[in-house]
Amino acid sequence: MSKNVTKLLFALMLAMVLVLAACGDKDTADNGNNNNNTEDPANNENNEDNGEEDPADDEDSNLFSIDDFSQSKNNEGEPIEGGTLNFGLVSDTVFEGTLNWNFYSGAPDAEVIGWFDESMLYMDDTFTYTNEGPAEFTTEPYETDEYPNGVTFTFTIKDGVKWHDGEPVKAEDWAFSYEVIGHPDYPGVRYGPDFSGIIGMEEYNAGEADSISGIEIVDDKTLKITYKESQPSLLTGGVWTYAMPKHLFKDIPVAEMQEHDLVRKNPVGMGPFKVKQITPGESVVYEKFADYWRGEPNLDEVVLKVIAPEVVVQALQTGEVDMVDSFPTDQFVDNADMSNVEWLGQTDLAYTYIGFKLGHWDKEEKKVVMDPDKKMADVNLRRAMWYAVDNNAVGEQFYNGLRWNATTLIIPPFGDYHNSEIETPTYNPDEAKKILDEAGYLDVDGDGIREDKEGNELTINFATMSGGDVAEPLAQYYIQSWKAVGLNVELIDGRLLEFNAFYDRVGQAGDDDPNIDIYQGAWGTGSDVNPYGLYGPDQLFNFPRYESEKNSELLEAGNSLDAFDTDYRIDIYRQWQELMVEDIPVFPTLYRAVLIPVNNRVVNYTIERGANMGLHELGVTQEEPFTHEG
Amino acid sequence: MWKFSVRRIMIMIPQLFVLSVLIFVLAKMMPGDALSGQIDPNIDPARIEEIRQEMGWYDPWHEQYARWIGGVIQWDFGQSFRFKMPVTELMGQRIENSFWLSLVTLIFTYLIAIPLGITSGRYNDTLRDSLITGYSYLGFATPIFIFALVMLWVFGFQLGWFPTSGSVTPGLVPGTFDYFVSKVYHLILPALSMALITTYSTIQYLRNEIIDTKQKDFILLARAKGASESRVYNRHIFRNSLLPIAAFFGFEITTLIGGSIFIENIFGYPGMGQLLIESISLRDYSVVTATTLLFGMAAVLGALLSDIILSIVDPRIRIK
Repeated sequence: MSKNVTKLLFALMLAMVLVLAACGDKDTADNGNNNNNTEDPANNENNEDNGEEDPADDEDSNLFSIDDFSQSKNNEGEPIEGGTLNFGLVSDTVFEGTLNWNFYSGAPDAEVIGWFDESMLYMDDTFTYTNEGPAEFTTEPYETDEYPNGVTFTFTIKDGVKWHDGEPVKAEDWAFSYEVIGHPDYPGVRYGPDFSGIIGMEEYNAGEADSISGIEIVDDKTLKITYKESQPSLLTGGVWTYAMPKHLFKDIPVAEMQEHDLVRKNPVGMGPFKVKQITPGESVVYEKFADYWRGEPNLDEVVLKVIAPEVVVQALQTGEVDMVDSFPTDQFVDNADMSNVEWLGQTDLAYTYIGFKLGHWDKEEKKVVMDPDKKMADVNLRRAMWYAVDNNAVGEQFYNGLRWNATTLIIPPFGDYHNSEIETPTYNPDEAKKILDEAGYLDVDGDGIREDKEGNELTINFATMSGGDVAEPLAQYYIQSWKAVGLNVELIDGRLLEFNAFYDRVGQAGDDDPNIDIYQGAWGTGSDVNPYGLYGPDQLFNFPRYESEKNSELLEAGNSLDAFDTDYRIDIYRQWQELMVEDIPVFPTLYRAVLIPVNNRVVNYTIERGANMGLHELGVTQEEPFTHEG
Repeated sequence: MWKFSVRRIMIMIPQLFVLSVLIFVLAKMMPGDALSGQIDPNIDPARIEEIRQEMGWYDPWHEQYARWIGGVIQWDFGQSFRFKMPVTELMGQRIENSFWLSLVTLIFTYLIAIPLGITSGRYNDTLRDSLITGYSYLGFATPIFIFALVMLWVFGFQLGWFPTSGSVTPGLVPGTFDYFVSKVYHLILPALSMALITTYSTIQYLRNEIIDTKQKDFILLARAKGASESRVYNRHIFRNSLLPIAAFFGFEITTLIGGSIFIENIFGYPGMGQLLIESISLRDYSVVTATTLLFGMAAVLGALLSDIILSIVDPRIRIK
């Protein structure tokens, strides 16, 4: 009897296991089918609803283009008075809670700060400072024997700009930020050439001076800062534009500020919303700041909470969040039909690239040293590798058109600086083979793989990062493309590298792994068009370890006194982009889109760069968010 | 008894020492550091280098270890690089959440396991028993991270009965009744997900113990004296069968820690497990070492607790 029961039980268990396994399979299969089947009708619906703003492409429903996305929310209806907006901070980590511009280091914190504090200077669409923000500025040359090319900025803070505790924002608050960041005890990462370029800052930073001689508080509302060198980059992000409330911070030692409650629990800013409550790492509740200098905000309250990328779609569909700071683009295709949101999109300030290792980093001299014996030293080999890959196909196949072929190293959002006229190598395997043949990379032993110019075996070691579903197939695609023109490229160690290991070996600390010949990386460019920090001869982040006389000359000219003339600067950077296409220390592969879903009840929202619309104008048309139907 | 406990505790000291060395060396061997995520053209590499020097990350490992362990003995785990606050304070925020999660999970575990274990043992080799055993084997075989995802999807998103992330609804004032209710509400689904599939050991121990006990002579005697069936089970058998459960209570803690790492990440619940995973991927050494050490200590203490309970319960295993 009992034996039978055991047998029965065993059978039952097996059956259950099978059922479970089948369930799993069915789930995935169903999902797959759903996607394929519902995509078309869903997109048609979209067509009816939104008219021209439909992000879907007509020919292939799974292919999208950044040009089809609007940058501003289509306002449907009038905003109600007050209301609460729920904002999702998409992150697989919590926010650290260092809620001050001078001390934060993680991107999630920046997002949290952005709601309650703001920059003293706003930027326009070319990332140049304007006079629209809380402060205005003028510049005048500063010429002494010591600093013949200096420049003095005079900032005037507008009336009515107040801290959340009601105190007016003063010149000393702004100067205080410089005093904190330049202080010898300052623990954060912000201190750099932007600060040491101020007259007297280096002495102050070394502890030799009690004040910064180049910073002068003229009166309550006027601040003067004098820089040693007049450089156009100062106007495009080179000034530290964040003030901190000196009347609250003045008695706290600099080294302890970042742990203080004023940074952690009760931060005080000057933005449209003030912090009401913080649940560490999880959420922040903001309430409106009625005395905001641009006018009383529409919304009563904003609730920000951290949403894991895995559940962001559900959170948007149920209206749990009205919008998010950034949406994982790879999930867009399956959710393009979400009926309760409008998708906004723009080109991201970033590019992906393939880099060639041409030398190493000299730690003593702190500069790059090119090595003519490197495997990748011949520019023809590099050019052929560029011709061999089809980045448009990569964009379409792996990213549904939300990434696309990149041409130059200055990205299109920089407007006129981006040189769209250059003919950059695009997919042409025959051309690649021809270049290799002419350069002497021939298949000597007839195995279908080319040898190097001396006839020795040529294996190119490729380093690339893990992360996301696409990383592995993408790496394999590139390797196959190169194999198709006869080049043997192998993943270094035969696998993808984890982020930290990757950058360690590519050389973030100067210890380049000599075995790496090529690598795939990506850069966020920030708002300054100047590429010196990534390609200058004395820059650690110049990972290809490339330098040339022409390169140094152009990069310096691009940030010289003459370059205050925009046309001159544009011309220089256009030449530099051409040089990069000739020399190919790296070649850009993909530009990418950022997509932001916004609930239909939200009005007055834009992601356009340089737009004058502020968060205080943000509103909702009804108390409850729309939910997804379908 | 005391002798045993003291000796048992003495053994712990070398255990903890080896553990701390292992944790520290392994953490330092990870490629990259807390600053390698800051590769940003707007941040001056020279400044990053300076910070690395200041933090002492270039010193030989034994010097760094000595500095670290010196602090640990005084319960100072150093400064979290990422959160820019003392690790002790940071863990203080998180450990509270983890504690409540573990407690509620334990309560659920016993609420589920005890009735099922008793039924299973009392009616052994019947359909009821088979079903319960089947369930416990299923729990044993199901990976917690899959099960938790399914629970989240069904009860969190499809049915919408429970919140899907966080430990409390934003905006509630700590200390109020609503705040407390919201905390509990956020706990239920993660705790239940973990409890439902970690009960198997308790169910099985209880079942076997009851089957064992009910054939003992004193039960026969109780029956012979005319005690009712419910009295026999509730007074005589159940009490005696609970002893091993109590003894394995310490080991439950280890299971809870392992489970909480998955559960907290899936449910976006800010506790120690989530902190550990994030700190590993962002190379926040001081937090990694502190959390791992604390988890290790909890496991060692759990084993100690079990041994002590066991020695009270069963005098035979006391070390002479």
